[in-house]
Amino acid sequence: MIKIFSGFFAGIVLVIVIAFKFAGGFMFSEYASPFGVEETAARVQANIQALEKRGWKLSALRNPARAAQVSGINVLPVLLVEACSTDYSAPLLKEMETRILSILMPCTISVYKKDDGKTYIGTMNSGLMGKLFGSKVASIMTEVAKDQQQFIVMDPSKPAPPLIRKRPGGGSGGAGTPESGC
Amino acid sequence: MNTTRFSIRYLLLIAAVLMLSLSSYAAEQKESVATIKMTQAAKQASKSTADHTKFTELQKDFESGPEVTAACLECHTEAAKQVHSTKHWTWEFLNPATKQRLGKRNVINNFCTSVKSNQAFCSACHVGYGWKDDTFDFAKEENVDCLVCHDTTGKYKKIPGLSGHPNYKPMEWPPKSGKIREPVDLKKVAQNVGKTSRDSCGSCHFYGGGGNAVKHGDLDSSLKQPLRYLDVHMEAKGLNFSCGKCHLSDSHEVTGSRYAPTAADDKGALLRGKEDGRNPTTCVACHGNEPHKEYAKLNDHIDKVACQTCHIPEFARGNIPTKMTWDWSTAGRLDENGKRLKIRNSGGMVAYDSKKGDFTYESSVIPEYVWFNGNVRYTLFGDKVDGSEIVKINQFMGGPDDPNSRIWPVKVFRGKQPWDVGNQTLAVFHTAGEDDNAYWKKYDWEKAMKVGMAAAGMEYSGKMDFVETEMSWPITHMVAPKADALSCAQCHNENGRLRNVQGIYLPGANNTPVMDKIGLGIALLALLGVLAHGGIRILTSRKGAK
Amino acid sequence: MARIYIFKRFERFWHWSQAALIVFMLLTGFEVHGSYRIFGFENAVTYHTFAAWMIIALWVFAVFWHFTTGEWKQYIPTMEKVDAMVKYYITGIFTNAPHPFKQTRLSKHNPLQRLAYLFVLVVINPVIWFSGWAYLFYNDLAVVGLGWLSLDWIAFFHVVGAFMMLIFFIAHVYLATAGHTPTAHIKAMITGWEESEE
Repeated sequence: MIKIFSGFFAGIVLVIVIAFKFAGGFMFSEYASPFGVEETAARVQANIQALEKRGWKLSALRNPARAAQVSGINVLPVLLVEACSTDYSAPLLKEMETRILSILMPCTISVYKKDDGKTYIGTMNSGLMGKLFGSKVASIMTEVAKDQQQFIVMDPSKPAPPLIRKRPGGGSGGAGTPESGC
Repeated sequence: MNTTRFSIRYLLLIAAVLMLSLSSYAAEQKESVATIKMTQAAKQASKSTADHTKFTELQKDFESGPEVTAACLECHTEAAKQVHSTKHWTWEFLNPATKQRLGKRNVINNFCTSVKSNQAFCSACHVGYGWKDDTFDFAKEENVDCLVCHDTTGKYKKIPGLSGHPNYKPMEWPPKSGKIREPVDLKKVAQNVGKTSRDSCGSCHFYGGGGNAVKHGDLDSSLKQPLRYLDVHMEAKGLNFSCGKCHLSDSHEVTGSRYAPTAADDKGALLRGKEDGRNPTTCVACHGNEPHKEYAKLNDHIDKVACQTCHIPEFARGNIPTKMTWDWSTAGRLDENGKRLKIRNSGGMVAYDSKKGDFTYESSVIPEYVWFNGNVRYTLFGDKVDGSEIVKINQFMGGPDDPNSRIWPVKVFRGKQPWDVGNQTLAVFHTAGEDDNAYWKKYDWEKAMKVGMAAAGMEYSGKMDFVETEMSWPITHMVAPKADALSCAQCHNENGRLRNVQGIYLPGANNTPVMDKIGLGIALLALLGVLAHGGIRILTSRKGAK
Repeated sequence: MARIYIFKRFERFWHWSQAALIVFMLLTGFEVHGSYRIFGFENAVTYHTFAAWMIIALWVFAVFWHFTTGEWKQYIPTMEKVDAMVKYYITGIFTNAPHPFKQTRLSKHNPLQRLAYLFVLVVINPVIWFSGWAYLFYNDLAVVGLGWLSLDWIAFFHVVGAFMMLIFFIAHVYLATAGHTPTAHIKAMITGWEESEE
């Protein structure tokens, strides 16, 4: 009897450990890019701008590596491309139960270099995230996920677009300016 | 009545006098505070025992650089002779180990390739005045340029094309930019000479290869006022080392050479004042051979790994991208109007220039790692090239079994550049100049080759092509704070930083696969054996119970 | 049922602390070797080195104990009854045949055990120990005239020793269950008292 119980509990612990270890892998996705950090970020920006018809606008380009440098610390290059679409954000912001999902806005695409010298694109697994919050949120987030897949398409036949460093709407916080999407 | 009137007037007068005197006193106070501050600043700026603004020799409006030099030499009588014997002057270096004749004057690189036939342009970074062709007098003392190294104002700038002179008349610079550069105030610069600094050394060394950060990768203008993360020794608000702190110089001879570097230094910290001819520009010369106090195991690495390998995790970390490749073979493409093209990349750097071809850039570059014993072998003009393989412009010698070799971080600069097919040599071609033979004037390889090859002393065969080349640059600047040194696992890992370095056993890199398979195989067999044995025991004991 | 006091207090302490250290060092050691990632390379090295010093200290006591108590004689090899032991493990153990070896306080290891432990003492341990010392003091080897030893060979022997120890460990743990009841030997190693069949 003890053996059965201890086996059962060991099984539960194992499942929890496995779930804990791989949860990160489910929530986030990483893709290799054939281009450098700046060019990859610029191409992501261009892809986002190409989806303007679905409400997408760039809200900011952040450089957390620079902040680390000012603090005296070296980190490999990383750029955060932030974008938002009111087509998707507005319905979520209207409902009191889903307003908390504003924590996920704006949508962030991360572009970074790793120790192998290659550039990677990191995205949140919006589709899966949405499924955790009921069908309405799920349907919105599925659309976001679809668009997101287009953000990260790297088409070498297109020339390298310039990186947009300035906030499209001006201003300092990336907040409040209507031009910046959200 | 009268008395009251009088008293009011009297009071007003007194008040006015008081106020006046008060305000003038306040002004005086301010002025004296300002004077104190200014003298303090001046004292901090220079600890020299000589104030050059007081020198009568420098109280005149100089017409040219050589005139300034003549004035300098009135007191510093031996200075020019000293400079004449340095690489900064001769642009020549005889490698004692390989007997190769090196130096800027002789080598061909894979950036702008060669000085020959382009002296007027290249000599903007020569410590002299007037080197435009082979007629230059290397023995003339007034030809030495004192100011380019000793200027402290930051206003003294030599311009490519003027054979090492600054502009003495207003001129447009950069060409066709519409910006007018005023002539330099030679009197002011001459009166403000001082020790060399990151700014003065950097005025050439940060811009090698034709622009900021282009050539070395570990030297660029971000080192003028670096933050701590970028260089722990040169941090402007910290140790604030000048270049000369490490590149200790004597009699104008600057130590620390890229032509014959010290790849391995096991002699320990250098005692101040001790002169034994060893290179003082090494990490070890200050830090000794056992620099790691907290984790002594790290000291066990010094027989194989250069300090730079761990302590410079990436180069070009100053947010200024360094050039990584240069393809000359695509040069000469013009726009529909026959005008020069300039195409920029995402980061805003010029990625294509009709004059020069295609470029790529990168910042925070992860170095390549090679064995290096300090010997560098160059492929010089005339050395045989047949176009069948990548030409190593320079080759870092050394290997795992050589006790003088260490694993070094390098920037490998890859290019494609002209070679003379008939003569089987890397080409010297004429790039810069106002004449029609210059490639940058007419985009004509044939003319550029003909003039360039002749200047190098060889007749152009009439057939040229492009060959892939590689040039290595040792990485030794931009030393990160110790917390940012590579972590153990960045190398001790199957896919670690040193995965391409041969001949070294690296624990954690899984480099004995055969033995591992055998060992694990036997262990698994033992496990299977005992499980089978145990299984049979269980079965037979049940039978026995029945 | 007879009970005899076989393993004295220090011996039991020595056995279990050594067992724990060996398991821990196998775990960290194979991580340093690059077989898997658990603690992280840097931590694995630190732990492994720390455990090495612990086991060295333990051995200083153990060697002292063995010689002062004369217990070292327990490892003198004998070929007597070895064939009987082998036969017992191959067939007898399955048919409830009597164990061919009778434990006494003067002779607590069966002849196979004697050979196995002697092999650990004169082969596996020296291989691990000498290569381990060389590993630890790699850069000072030249001082003792061993400068010619390269790290790849040192590491090679160290890992060979580790694999041998791993294999010994597997066999040892299993054979610990081969007493007259599966837990008899283990109990003895914990309490010191071995129960024999008669």
